[in-house]
Amino acid sequence: MPFEQPLKKFVLAWPGSLTEQITLTPTGKSGGAGEIFGIDTQPNLLAKLYHATTTPPQLNHYQRKIQWMLNHKPTLPKISAEYQGIVQLAWPEAMIMHQSDFVGFAMRKIAFDQTLELDYLLNRRQASQEDFDIDYGKLVAVCFNLAAIISCLHSMRIAIVDLKPMNVKVYKSELFVSILDCDGFHIATDEFRSDAPQVTPDYLAPEFQGGSVTHPEAQDRFALATIIFRLLNYGIHPFSGVGVNSRDYPPELAGRIRNRLYPYGNSAHKNVLKVPASVHEVLPNALRELFDRAFSASAINRPSAQEWVASLSVYAVKHSGQMLPCNRGHLKFSSSECPTCLREQLIQGAAARRRSFLTRMQTAPTRTLKYVKKTLRQTHTSPFQAALAQTQFAAVHLAPRASLSTRNAIAAEILWIFGLLISYWWIK
Amino acid sequence: MSLMLTSVWVVPLLIAWAWRSRQAATASAWLLRIAFAGFGAWAIWFGLYVHEGEPAGIFFWKPTLLYWTLATIAIIAPMLSWTAPAKIIVGAYFALSSREWRWINRGFAIACMLLGAVNLLVASMTSYRNWVDFKFSCLTILLFIGLFRLNFVWLPLIVDLSFHLYRRTVVAYRYVSQLLRTP
Ligand SMILES: Nc1ncnc2c1ncn2[C@@H]1O[C@H](COP(=O)(O)OP(=O)(O)OP(=O)(O)O)[C@@H](O)[C@H]1O
Ligand SMILES: [Zn+2]
Repeated sequence: MPFEQPLKKFVLAWPGSLTEQITLTPTGKSGGAGEIFGIDTQPNLLAKLYHATTTPPQLNHYQRKIQWMLNHKPTLPKISAEYQGIVQLAWPEAMIMHQSDFVGFAMRKIAFDQTLELDYLLNRRQASQEDFDIDYGKLVAVCFNLAAIISCLHSMRIAIVDLKPMNVKVYKSELFVSILDCDGFHIATDEFRSDAPQVTPDYLAPEFQGGSVTHPEAQDRFALATIIFRLLNYGIHPFSGVGVNSRDYPPELAGRIRNRLYPYGNSAHKNVLKVPASVHEVLPNALRELFDRAFSASAINRPSAQEWVASLSVYAVKHSGQMLPCNRGHLKFSSSECPTCLREQLIQGAAARRRSFLTRMQTAPTRTLKYVKKTLRQTHTSPFQAALAQTQFAAVHLAPRASLSTRNAIAAEILWIFGLLISYWWIK
Repeated sequence: MSLMLTSVWVVPLLIAWAWRSRQAATASAWLLRIAFAGFGAWAIWFGLYVHEGEPAGIFFWKPTLLYWTLATIAIIAPMLSWTAPAKIIVGAYFALSSREWRWINRGFAIACMLLGAVNLLVASMTSYRNWVDFKFSCLTILLFIGLFRLNFVWLPLIVDLSFHLYRRTVVAYRYVSQLLRTP
């Protein structure tokens, strides 16, 4: 239930025993677990109150988790004094109590006018609409900063688990990264444990697809590599590609991740082709090897956040000479061709091909046939039986639908029609 | 002309063969298919090609032959512990235990035996008119099986197909209109 009025008589309880009376003002923002409020005396903080539907045991767990987090604030990568207002983690700063009951926590406010969601960096046009012009120097810096924060968390046995671009904000001019939703992190220390049940399939490591995340740090390593890959490759997901045999190629990313269908490795995948517009081939070898270890090898070899920090640091430091402008002025990795130019060529090539409209119209009949063929290859499911199954007859159970392809179903039904006609002929 | 006639049944069979499921069929299913292949061959031969008609003696026996063949299959298959043939005929819709299927199968076998016998009785003891009426009422069974198939399988299949085709058409349309927009 969203609150509209300011809420009085709340108490901000700082670590130690300092407390203060506060009034909360609604911001209109809310998430799965709670709702976000402003705090009248603390303009730099926001309060997150857990939803009223939270059960007492859950709330109790949150309280212990927040308590632990207040006592174990991670030491983050140092940022110089000029960037005072930057928040790298919306870590809990104080508890919020109401009539001496725990109801939520306060965290530092991330200035939304100075930041943009990491999602936007995956698409140049979207980013420039937000007044952010992307170049490879900025991208590497963002990757480096993200890896650095995660590395700090991992060293404290804290994992993010639901790591995805949506939960990460980027400061537009400073390129620092901040991570939201800290109260959802996985904590696995000797004195305190808290699981993180939420996951996002597109960023979930193959070994956890369809199961639970038993090794949260390995999960973060996978998600981190996926995000870095997408940032450095124009948003292309490492598991998007073109199936050689479309029949065996899962339509959704989760299935491709599970089957480890990664087409951007140093050695090509035999069943999947890369997306034509990908520029992975001109990324530095050191990074490509890390990607290969993250996506094609087993989880044991997956590079840690610390390894990413080490490999990215050479590029992230300005004036290191590792990032140089190409002859058209784009920043690029000094060791290889300019990815920005390459991308433009690929896109223009595609546009030119698209322009040959006539040739395409001439091939239209074959393509139409392909559409029909593809349709016939779909798995056939019967909505009628699904509807019937939902009504759940007490005595008669409906048969689980055979997962026939549409072609097989048609073949079977042709035989059925023949059977009925033959019977008719014999009985009539 | 006869080429046309032939393609009417050969082409669907070829399609059915090309798109057949690669899952192994059960022995009972094969038995049914073989029986129907025999009946079908006879029907096609005498129905489509031989204009003098069938051998005269078989005329009254035809429904009985079909019923008793089905009854035989329905009795023999469980004895060899193959799948109950009744399950093949209605098993696509309901999930029952194999014990229940055995009972349904027995009922099916008995019904077929009775129908076959009644056909002979009606044909030999009453008028030709009565016999035609009897056969007609038997056809309603077929009608029921057909309606079941139509409702549970064919309509969904058609809905499914048209849905996918529609989606593909929309994609194709968008694609073409986008081609037209960029000169
Ligand atoms: N520190 C912060 N500074 C600014 N805005 C924030 C901050 N924390 C959260 N928000 C805003 O509030 C919204 C909801 O917060 P949050 O995602 O933490 O809630 P949640 O209940 O954990 O949701 P979910 O679990 O579904 O992610 C966020 O989308 C974000 O816009
Ligand atoms: Zn360039």
